[in-house]
Amino acid sequence: MGRQRIGYFEDLQDPEHICSRCHMCELICTFHHHQVGNPKRSRIRLISLDKGVDVPVTCLNCEDAPCMNICPTGALYRPESDGMVTVKEDLCIGCAMCVNACPVGAITLDPVDGMAVKCDLCGGDPQCVDYCPANVLKLTDAERFARHRMRGFVKSLQASGEEG
Amino acid sequence: MSIFAGGYAGQILFVNLTDGSIQVKPLEREFALKYIGGRGFTSRILLDEVKPGIDPYCPDNVVVIAAGTLSGTPTPSSGRLVVAAKSPMTGGIGDANSGGYWSPELKYAGFDAIVIRGTSKDPVYLWIEDGRAELRPAQHLWGQNTTETRQLLKEETGDDDIHICAIGPAGENLVRYACVVTDEEGVGGRCGIGAVIGSKKLKAVVVRGSLDVRIADPERFKKTLEDYRKTLAGEVWTETLRRLGTPNLTAHRQSHGIWGAKNFQRATIEDYEPISGENFRKKFLMKPIGCMGCLVSCKRYSAVKDGPFAGIYTVGPEYETINALAAKPYITDPAIVLRAHYLCDEYGLDEQGVGSTVAMAMELYERGLLTKEQTDGQELVFGNSEALLYFIDKIAYRKGFGDLLAEGTKIMGERLNADYYAIHIKGLEVDATDPRKQVTRALTYAVSTRGACHLRGNPYIDEFIKPEEAEAYFGTAAVSELEALEGKGKMVAWSEDWVTISDQMGLCKFAWYRSRSFPMLIKRGLELAKEAFTSATGLPMTNEKLYECGERVYNVEKLFNVRQGIGREGDYPPARFFEEELTDGPAKGCKLDRKEYDRLLDDYYEARGWDKKTGEPTPEKLRSLGLE
Repeated sequence: MGRQRIGYFEDLQDPEHICSRCHMCELICTFHHHQVGNPKRSRIRLISLDKGVDVPVTCLNCEDAPCMNICPTGALYRPESDGMVTVKEDLCIGCAMCVNACPVGAITLDPVDGMAVKCDLCGGDPQCVDYCPANVLKLTDAERFARHRMRGFVKSLQASGEEG
Repeated sequence: MSIFAGGYAGQILFVNLTDGSIQVKPLEREFALKYIGGRGFTSRILLDEVKPGIDPYCPDNVVVIAAGTLSGTPTPSSGRLVVAAKSPMTGGIGDANSGGYWSPELKYAGFDAIVIRGTSKDPVYLWIEDGRAELRPAQHLWGQNTTETRQLLKEETGDDDIHICAIGPAGENLVRYACVVTDEEGVGGRCGIGAVIGSKKLKAVVVRGSLDVRIADPERFKKTLEDYRKTLAGEVWTETLRRLGTPNLTAHRQSHGIWGAKNFQRATIEDYEPISGENFRKKFLMKPIGCMGCLVSCKRYSAVKDGPFAGIYTVGPEYETINALAAKPYITDPAIVLRAHYLCDEYGLDEQGVGSTVAMAMELYERGLLTKEQTDGQELVFGNSEALLYFIDKIAYRKGFGDLLAEGTKIMGERLNADYYAIHIKGLEVDATDPRKQVTRALTYAVSTRGACHLRGNPYIDEFIKPEEAEAYFGTAAVSELEALEGKGKMVAWSEDWVTISDQMGLCKFAWYRSRSFPMLIKRGLELAKEAFTSATGLPMTNEKLYECGERVYNVEKLFNVRQGIGREGDYPPARFFEEELTDGPAKGCKLDRKEYDRLLDDYYEARGWDKKTGEPTPEKLRSLGLE
């Protein structure tokens, strides 16, 4: 498996397999990491727009990770060559350079202790994946995610073929 | 810092709109242990604060908003909120319950409850963030629909992460059944609390929080969470709710013949298929929506894609939407029902208030008790969907005949000398089903402290409880027999206290209090609720003590009502249910029997320890609950 991350695997043809806006991913993430309730400390955040659009967003684990590159103290690093970018808390100074650099906003400063926080895949057993009632969050890598997108694309071709 | 090890935020916010003063007081341990939270807090505070006989719209009425105890923790389906005041519909205790994300956010913002007194001179909104609060001008929001209000507030604060509880034009214009709308998803519909908030010139309460809700014993809490997940996994009900939402109940109402259609003149719907839950799914469902941390997701996100109403995006419908806006006015075009539902949410109207009042007017019109001159020239007959949409507008702005419709069925019945056709209990319209087939259902609706309500108790226990379980819990195996009356008063009383716990904890009744197995009801609704409470708050609790907290709150509400002048006469179903048999469907021929009902009501009062003549809780009962 390539570099791992959490992916959002919706199926737009199936109402039960689209994010249902329950915020359980945020609740269970914060509970796992801090043993409290507080979605603003979650490392996966749900973004809701008009017309029923809800997408959970978290770290993409970029190859050439901007957060890691810009960090002035070396607090952000990759412990294994294809592992998750990780925060070394004793080195973090809370400067938020990483927050500025992240293309999707998946790293932030914890509202309680002010240090950088990001997804750590719960050490390999991500709780958001375990708890998601719509089953749309999965531990994945670029290859698997691309296959999912391909399937969605082909299914839409199939559907338009049936209609036409 | 809160005195609680977890669960509670530990503070109550007091706002006086007359002088603009704001105070923060600590939540006391004794109070929390006796009343738990949510409806327990709102009911007790109202009993202390609201004098008997006051006008619900006067500055002395008090609005109390309380989060459920477990709201804000990762307890699944625990995000429910209670908004309460003396009700302009009933004159008694009024509370509305709403899901969504607002209740947890109030906890993250540092408060368990808000007590709002007085009346503002100009429109204001209340802003709450991380332990602080302020009143801000809302002249620019006054008159706006609920969606526009939310958009303007998000623009003004530059923050799309705020949560908003607002009233629409209906609340501003004191439509007696105006509701409160929380974000896009939740509606605290019943009892006209939106009108009380409107009378106070309070447009919205906006919260933003980033404070922790602590968990006293995380390990034990996690175990409870896992236990709860296991109990959900085996339930057919969970899957049904996710697939169809509450509209799955349309099939049950049709097959049992208990719709309450055409202002309770019909029990089934002739052209049923278009308004079935299945059809709403097929035509409009985008996806299910879950409230905060919900593993069920019974809410619907619907879109109308074609036809004259194309472009409507809305959270809904619920079963109650279909009951109120389709069955009652006898309209079977589902797109019209969604349009009407959308308008009710935008104006901040309780759908049951709208559907019931319009249906009653339709019956009066067909009977010749209302003329076309009185109804703004509208042909107000059953099935006239244009008239329904026309009057939703008129009701919200109290224009023309809408001004009378805005008063609800009770007052309309009095003004038009047509009481008999007003199908309400204590002033609140009968929702959900026609109870003529099942007298325990009628009792549950009738004795409900907030007026007719299907969520105040659970009269269906006798459909599945086993004889030995009935014997153990209610002292007689007869409770397991559908036709028997013995023990049913006690069963209804028990179920009311048990359901009250959900409203105190902020737990959803569909997720926690629904099963076709009695041991599962006990396991989830009492045992696991207790476990979640204890592990989150660190406070000691037993099943028995928790049950007593439910009973205490029910007695507080009864006391409130008796002091406001609602006695035994308020605990009766409408006359139509005694006088007229159901005329169609499988329950054809059913009606309530007055003698039988009287006996059941006596039994219920006895089980409750209430005076049979007045309905007042006896001094012994109050003492035993620590309410002297």
